[in-house]
Amino acid sequence: MLFIIAWRNIWRNKGRSLVVMGSIVVGIWALIFATGAMNAFMVGYMADIINHDVSNLQVHHPDFKTDRDVQFTIPNGEQKADELRHWEGVKATTTRTLVNGMIASPRKASGVQIRGVDVANETRVTAVDSLITEGSFFQNVRRNPIVLGNQLAEELRVSERSKVVLTFNDANGNITSAAFRVDGIVKSSSVNISKQYAFVKQEDLTRLLGLGGLVHELAILTEPHFDEKIVVDEYQSKYPDDLIETWREISPEMDMMQEMYGSMLYVLMVIIMLALVFGIINTMLMAVLERTRELGMLMAVGMSKVRVYSLVLLETIFLGILGAPIGLGLGYLTIRYFSETGVDLSQYSEGLESFGYSSILYPYIESGTYFQIVIAVLITAFVGAVYPAWKAVRLKPVEALHMI
Amino acid sequence: MSIIKAENITKIYNHTVVPVHALNGVTLEIDRGEFTAIVGPSGCGKTTLLNILGGLDHPTSGSVELANTDITSLNDGQLIDFRLKNIGFVFQAYNLIPVLTTMENVEFIMLLQKRTKKDREARAMELLSQMGIAEKANQRPSQLSGGQQQRVAVARALASKPQFILADEPTANLDSKSTSSLLDIMADMNREEGATFVFSTHDQRVIEKARRVITLEDGRVVKDERK
Repeated sequence: MLFIIAWRNIWRNKGRSLVVMGSIVVGIWALIFATGAMNAFMVGYMADIINHDVSNLQVHHPDFKTDRDVQFTIPNGEQKADELRHWEGVKATTTRTLVNGMIASPRKASGVQIRGVDVANETRVTAVDSLITEGSFFQNVRRNPIVLGNQLAEELRVSERSKVVLTFNDANGNITSAAFRVDGIVKSSSVNISKQYAFVKQEDLTRLLGLGGLVHELAILTEPHFDEKIVVDEYQSKYPDDLIETWREISPEMDMMQEMYGSMLYVLMVIIMLALVFGIINTMLMAVLERTRELGMLMAVGMSKVRVYSLVLLETIFLGILGAPIGLGLGYLTIRYFSETGVDLSQYSEGLESFGYSSILYPYIESGTYFQIVIAVLITAFVGAVYPAWKAVRLKPVEALHMI
Repeated sequence: MSIIKAENITKIYNHTVVPVHALNGVTLEIDRGEFTAIVGPSGCGKTTLLNILGGLDHPTSGSVELANTDITSLNDGQLIDFRLKNIGFVFQAYNLIPVLTTMENVEFIMLLQKRTKKDREARAMELLSQMGIAEKANQRPSQLSGGQQQRVAVARALASKPQFILADEPTANLDSKSTSSLLDIMADMNREEGATFVFSTHDQRVIEKARRVITLEDGRVVKDERK
């Protein structure tokens, strides 16, 4: 009968019950959407960086990271790249020749990282060609083509077919310059690609460096969900003189970002839940104070404090049980809708993109997270009911009975 | 055999600076099966006395023995349990549970006592029939008149066959017709079920019906007459 009383009590004041239910619905929905959006930020950001820039694994000469000298190459880099393509879990590999230098247009000059890429393999590993917004990825210009990021192109005030001059040290330490013609412009949320890289053909760069077959970087794309560690261990045991690293080691800031997002989400959850707790405390307390006389009577005729306490908690739990599926459904539908259409943040995207984020978010949530959110909100609702329930059992029947 | 034994009870409310003496040494004994009215002018201490006899309030001094139990030594939890097992309450404002039907309201105390469903339903139906409101069994209190609600309250108080029933101004909100039919019902119950009734009232009709009238004035028993 306690269940019956609790159930019927919640319909006594429909408006108030709907407020509590509404706050539970909104709480769950907000948490689901916030988590989805955060995931979209994080996953979009990481996917952009892994897919188009860092790739899953990279091999370098151990000294290359500290001193980006031309001489620190990977011995037999091309053969190793060929060999790795046959390894289990490896989807594609490519080699790069890297050198730091200057890029100059008739208007301006800027420091760049010149990336000599193996065009066919590069597109397989980083799909950087898919980022082309203007021109082509080494298709149109025959002699010394160069592909630049959109921000760098803007800075240099160049466009497709413009001429730029690259200046860098060759293998002998001599300064060398060469003219290149812009073949394409790529646009990416990755700051590296859009601002710091200048892509040239590997054969052009090695020719200018004065040595053929220079490989400074070997990038490996693994199959989705394949444990990168397996390739790392195998490679390291086979080629102990090379340095192989995962994207986490190459871009530690991404790992940090992931953690930071975790804590931001946590803070957001706490704020939403606090609002929910106070909302529930407020309404349930009203419900208790309004029924002071009735609760006093229940205790006068012999209803134990445990039962009175349970009654108030049960009412909140019922509201939670009613609200949770609605919030869950709304949250699920919102995520589903936006995971297909995306949330367009292009109005604010200039700011976002300069931080390396995509302007369209595709929220997504793992199915287990839905469950966790519902449980968290139900626990919050329960916590919110504790004080009103405690207040109810603190009533003295003799005083409560004489209240109007 | 006395079922209520109050000895020299006092109750002082410490209202800030000036203490209010609600009861000044009340001593009384009520036997099983009595039909007693506690009367007196407003503020004489009737409700305070009833609250103390019902274990809802503690006396400042003195002892209260109900059904051979000294209730002044019981804590809040024990008092709730004691009330559940031994005392039936009828309140001035009926105080039924608005979300339950008439039948469920009568069953409520028996449910707290963990009686079986069959047992509860049979007893509740029996009482509602005796009260003449069996046809209202499935209606909510808000659909009943004041008199009918108070009859449900009496049925609820009687349902678990308590040692005695305390009724605080049970007829105060009723018209004369409802009052006399409620009094008849309570008198019948007193006779047929042997239920002990103690009322606080200043309703002349209740006083006339009572077999014993205890008069309080300024927190003291000034008259105790049996008819």
